[in-house]
Amino acid sequence: MGSRQFMAILRKDLIRELRTREMLVSMFLFVMLALVIFHYAFGVDEDTDLTSFTGGMLWVTFIFSALLGLNRSFAQEKDEQCLDGLLLCPVDRVTIFFAKMTGNLVFLLIIQAVSVPVFTLFFIERSYLADIGLFILVLLLADLGICTIGTLLATISMNTRARDLLLPIVFLPLIVPVLIAATSATTGIFADGADLGDLAARLGFLAAFDAVFMVAAYGTYDFAIGE
Amino acid sequence: MDASGRDLSDAPLEIEVDGLRKTFGRREVLRGLSFSLERGGFLVMFGPNGAGKTTTLRVLATLLTAGRGSVRVAGHDVREDPMPVRRAVGLISHSPMLYLDLTAYENLRFYADMYGLEDREERITELLERLELSHRRYDVVRTFSKGMRQRLAIARAILHRPRVLLLDEPHSGLDPRAVDILDGLLAEIREEHTFVMVTHHIEKGLELATRLMIVDGGKIVWEHGAGVARETFNAVYREHVQEGSVL
Repeated sequence: MGSRQFMAILRKDLIRELRTREMLVSMFLFVMLALVIFHYAFGVDEDTDLTSFTGGMLWVTFIFSALLGLNRSFAQEKDEQCLDGLLLCPVDRVTIFFAKMTGNLVFLLIIQAVSVPVFTLFFIERSYLADIGLFILVLLLADLGICTIGTLLATISMNTRARDLLLPIVFLPLIVPVLIAATSATTGIFADGADLGDLAARLGFLAAFDAVFMVAAYGTYDFAIGE
Repeated sequence: MDASGRDLSDAPLEIEVDGLRKTFGRREVLRGLSFSLERGGFLVMFGPNGAGKTTTLRVLATLLTAGRGSVRVAGHDVREDPMPVRRAVGLISHSPMLYLDLTAYENLRFYADMYGLEDREERITELLERLELSHRRYDVVRTFSKGMRQRLAIARAILHRPRVLLLDEPHSGLDPRAVDILDGLLAEIREEHTFVMVTHHIEKGLELATRLMIVDGGKIVWEHGAGVARETFNAVYREHVQEGSVL
């Protein structure tokens, strides 16, 4: 994998996004609106303990917001007819995958850095500062899974006419295992502190999931991005 | 012989296409194309829309995989060994392949890094000057006119000093100044490059070609060396291209 080419694609995607803020603004607005809706939908009675739902609320919001970004990540290449320019370059297709995936990961992490404090303010009663490192690890591993599958599927769906429709249909069923593991680990952290044994199992599952799909992407991306 | 009187008969082959077939779904777009081109040659392909000209260029550029048959560019098989082919090839088409929200410099810097250029900054400066875009170096491409975008696209295509230049209707959409710049540039780099051009612009094609070709229905229906008069070519075109096809 060419590191200069990897950096060139990543830099290009970051500059473009920071200049237009197309993806970031839509992802951010979606997350904030979802949190406000959750706040009013579940917080009717102030005594209701929402702790057991927090992990689910958070990850469902993140997954749908990631979908918005993933849909755009290749749409730009396609709409501006730059994909041919990219494919003309002497670059391993896998390098394109890892650069695009890293870009999507960065955007998702930016959204999370802004929205997690807001979410904590709205829904979390207990301080989880002691487990913040573990929470960040859950975020990273789950995000990696979301972006790995998402980037691969966004690549496949970009050449279809109904790409906006196709991506969620194929992405959501595949991401369910990540959702279950991340929700369970996050709820545990928010509720009563991390149970290390349980959390290690969830983290191990997320890491294995990421590894499997990265290998799958590595093996199939040449075909996925082809004609 | 080329336009400048060079004898290319002993030059090594830069492009070799043998029995190329390409199918999209059930539709066979290329039906056994075979041709070759010497280093330094200038092949111009004419033909009606949908004849398979652009598909042929895209196979040569490795953007499409060859269905059946063999295709070699700059000594490498496009299917088995695409990386050296990509290094050797530049493509100018009607779509400029530029990122509209990046500046002219950022676009060229991106492609320079993708091609691993060592003299990136010098090369970008040289090309922007040559294409009269230095004053718009740090402007976002979205603010460029179509002609300026096409000029920048030319810089993108020749940035990595390709040996083979593939031109897909390069004059379409260009303003007169950009046409002059493109023609001047083609004349300037003519001797070091091999060209394959698809065009509907008969005068330009006849003027530049060392080899002429008419493609129709995915097959070569007529081939000739340079030096064909416009009237003769028109008659040949009418004779070979199926009725209803438009040049």
